[in-house]
Amino acid sequence: MKERNNTGWLFVLPAALLLGLVGLIPLITVINYSFFEIFILDRRFWVGTEWYNEIISSGRFWASFGRSTLFSTFVLAIQIPLGIAIALCIPKRQFWVGLALAGIALPLLVPWNMIPSLWLSLLNPDTGIIGRIMAAFGWSAEWKMSAVQTWAVIIIMDTWHWTSLVVILCYSALTTIPASYYQAAAIDGASPWQVFRHIQLPKLHYVLLMAVLLRFMDSFMIYTEAFPINAGGPDGATMFLAVDLGEEIKAFNYGPSAARSVLYFLIVLTVAWLFTKAQNKIDAPEAPRAT
Amino acid sequence: MLLRLLPYIKATGLILFLGFACLPLVQMTMISFIATLPQPGTEVGSLTFGNYANILSDPNLRAAFGNSIAYVLINICITVPIAIPAAYAFSRMSFLGDKHLFFAFIAFRITPPVVLTLPIFQLFSALGIVNSVFGIALAHCLFNLPISIWILQGFISAIPKEQDETAFLDGYSRPRFIWTFLLPQIAPGIAVTAFFCFMFSWVEVVFARILTTTNGKPISMAINALFGFQTDIGLVMAVTVASMIPGAVLVFSMRHHLSRGFKVGKI
Repeated sequence: MKERNNTGWLFVLPAALLLGLVGLIPLITVINYSFFEIFILDRRFWVGTEWYNEIISSGRFWASFGRSTLFSTFVLAIQIPLGIAIALCIPKRQFWVGLALAGIALPLLVPWNMIPSLWLSLLNPDTGIIGRIMAAFGWSAEWKMSAVQTWAVIIIMDTWHWTSLVVILCYSALTTIPASYYQAAAIDGASPWQVFRHIQLPKLHYVLLMAVLLRFMDSFMIYTEAFPINAGGPDGATMFLAVDLGEEIKAFNYGPSAARSVLYFLIVLTVAWLFTKAQNKIDAPEAPRAT
Repeated sequence: MLLRLLPYIKATGLILFLGFACLPLVQMTMISFIATLPQPGTEVGSLTFGNYANILSDPNLRAAFGNSIAYVLINICITVPIAIPAAYAFSRMSFLGDKHLFFAFIAFRITPPVVLTLPIFQLFSALGIVNSVFGIALAHCLFNLPISIWILQGFISAIPKEQDETAFLDGYSRPRFIWTFLLPQIAPGIAVTAFFCFMFSWVEVVFARILTTTNGKPISMAINALFGFQTDIGLVMAVTVASMIPGAVLVFSMRHHLSRGFKVGKI
């Protein structure tokens, strides 16, 4: 049992103050703005919930909400299983581990605004490696015109960028499993699938929680990577929530964009909250543990 | 049959994934060695080290590297010392509202940066820290602090509780216990945390863009500034390659900590 002791607050205070400054104050400002029509930041009019009514009744918001949800679903369905699989493939020998980890982590180290440029140059039929191969086979990619292909490019790019994070997290969790577990499993004649299901997967529990949450949230707010690929096109097919919001902010519609931000934040918060609720339900049956 | 093939399947899978991960980087490195704009002495399309030489001769780019390193270091120096006591409290103590507070912290990690850009810009200009590396370092605490607390909490929870109690019986105060007993034990955890702070902070662009309109530009923004009417793609790619070197060195030197495994706590 943890000790009940409110001195814990003293230890958390610096963190709470810092997050209050860079997080809470801006958040309250955004909520405040969302109720105003703003010309210049000093001259504004109270409009109540007008922006909210407008946004919720507009098809545009719900369409971009749907697109973002679909995109996150794809991202999770691909990256989480792939990440686990690759983590299981990393060899045991120390030297190769170092090389494999460094190679896997490389995509995470590219400045985000360069990622679209990298992929565009890769897909270029004149100079890019993939572009040339495709041209040699006579395949012409019409990905600027076709919604399916633009989606494919963005999903592949995102998978390239972020699967590594899932791999590193899962790999770290897998190495905490004591060797005796595997020896016991070998004596019992467990198949690799049984070892995975009953030894490895339970150990990945919390790491996967973190990975799923991070991947869901970051893919839900994809902006820097998606916008340069096709500017939300073709025909708005890749107008994700954050891309849409970014356009609004660029157009200096502070009031509506603040309202949109608040809705956006509430959605993300609700999903995270539901997620932890579900997590607690899964945890509950094994509650009487001696930890 | 399939069982005996398993090691080969694993190796093939890993190599395919590494190939996929490195393909865009191979392309990038190749272009970075090609002269893409006419320059005295080199033909367009010829092999050259000129792009890398241009990084060194451009004061803006050199400054950008300095800025990036400075803000990431400042960020780590702010985040880690603040995260350690908080992680300790979340791991060991139960206090009023602890679960809600932890969730509130995590909520800031998952808040989309676009949502907060405008007010953060206003707040920071009121504080006079726009266009400075300190401003970016502070803004990045928004997502680095929660993740650091989360990771460190896992490490601290992995240490047996009895140890704390023995130390308190011996008359150690809590801060002194943290300093003399806890810190050496969670040193790998601190390294992993600092590594994650580096990774998320080095490549971030949304805050870096709005907070550096004229001055203090990090590498990512300096690359953006290179795009123009006539873009020297070779130079752009060379800067990107150079920007990845510190991270790659860091991952390689961190490999033992990362492969020794770390625990992640529940929310």
